[in-house]
Amino acid sequence: MNAIAITSQMQVRQGPITMRSELASLMASVCADIHADRYMLVHPSVERGPKSVRIITSNWIFDALEDFGSVGIASIIENGHPSGPGATPRALAPATAPFLSKEEKRALLHHGHGELYCQKLIAGGTVSFAIFSAAAARCIDPLALRRGHMMCSYAVSQYFSATGAQESNDPLSERERECLLWVSEGKTTDEVALILGVSSNTVNSYIANAIQKFGANNRAMAIATAIRSGII
Amino acid sequence: MLHDMTAPVEAEILGDEAVAAWAAPLTVEPEIEEISSLSDAVRLCLRISGLLRADAFSLFFIVSQGDAARLAPVFDTSYPGISSLSRMLSARDTERFALSACKSDQPVWWGGRDGRDFLSASALPWAAEVASPIEQAGIAFPVSQERGRTGLVVFSGSAMNVDETHLCEAHSRCFSLFAHVARQRVQDCAKKPNVSKRELECLRLTADGLTSDDIATSLGLSVHTANQYLTNSTQKLNAVNRIHAVAKAMRSGLID
Repeated sequence: MNAIAITSQMQVRQGPITMRSELASLMASVCADIHADRYMLVHPSVERGPKSVRIITSNWIFDALEDFGSVGIASIIENGHPSGPGATPRALAPATAPFLSKEEKRALLHHGHGELYCQKLIAGGTVSFAIFSAAAARCIDPLALRRGHMMCSYAVSQYFSATGAQESNDPLSERERECLLWVSEGKTTDEVALILGVSSNTVNSYIANAIQKFGANNRAMAIATAIRSGII
Repeated sequence: MLHDMTAPVEAEILGDEAVAAWAAPLTVEPEIEEISSLSDAVRLCLRISGLLRADAFSLFFIVSQGDAARLAPVFDTSYPGISSLSRMLSARDTERFALSACKSDQPVWWGGRDGRDFLSASALPWAAEVASPIEQAGIAFPVSQERGRTGLVVFSGSAMNVDETHLCEAHSRCFSLFAHVARQRVQDCAKKPNVSKRELECLRLTADGLTSDDIATSLGLSVHTANQYLTNSTQKLNAVNRIHAVAKAMRSGLID
């Protein structure tokens, strides 16, 4: 029924999505299809440290973003159990979410985000998130959302390959990434040095750089961040 | 990350009524497809195949070998046998097809010998056209398990008809199907490590950058106990050190 609305809009567009405005209009039509009011496409922004995000496109009003803040968005992504492609979408009630502060809950509800769905998009080798929200509980159709999820993935992947936007999500150099990969496989500094044919000091400095770029406390956290963002 | 958020706060913000509405279970349950065996998976794949009006399907694992990629068939229309579709696509000369299909996140399609266009205008921008690897027209959906295996679900037929809605629906179902199949394979190969809740908690905190001291403080344990939990989980996961254990636990989905 609603798919018809989406289809008729899509026939206007030919070729892949290359501009942000096209991405925004696609997100708006997905919103209409799943009965959501607001959308937001975000990247977890590892280069700006933990708890920060980069918004790709969104139709949240400025005040809502200002009041809720990027820390709030980051905690939705981290703790809101985002569903991957094909998984059954899970509704998130901001009012009862244990990971949001009282102020954050109030900001969401005040600006008409009574129900949220956070979907994990894996496109172009990187992870990004689509957050859909509606004013009241159970407005959003979870079955339509599963389809809408794939469309978002397609669109984001086309947009990324057109703009190269996903590059900035991977702040690591090739060598740093390689070092982290071997460390995640349980290799010690000396072993990595042997594998890559460089000195142990060099390996340590690559890893220290990576830790610094991620704003991590230690190696374990850097590895976890890299795995979460799909870098290794 | 613990907030003392209790019911009164929610009621204060939302009103009692809205809190009560949320406490009730969700009435509209999305269809849950239970897969307990490979034949269940085959049955589900047959249903997706019906959605696309395809005659044949085949599910592959992608095995990458350096710069090359190979398709390893898991099951297909002739389950428990192997169909000609699987045989043709896993042959050596289709390596280029395998590479182009697994490079993308989006479906790839081909028109077959008679070059028939079976995608609707709305679906066309979402899928990339590739050179026909086989005689019949078909479409391939790249799928992956989060931090895990990647695969390809291929459908082919002479009477296929796919619009945008069906394309997304089919791809989404392929993803969930593949997740089940890949998980089952892992469980078949190695029994799920018996890591306790407490041990997982310690691993999770380690992933968040906490040291043993921090973990002991936040969980109210002694440092020795926290270390013991981490050592145990490292052994159970068959890892060589803590970082390896964290990486293994994350990749197998034990922790987020």
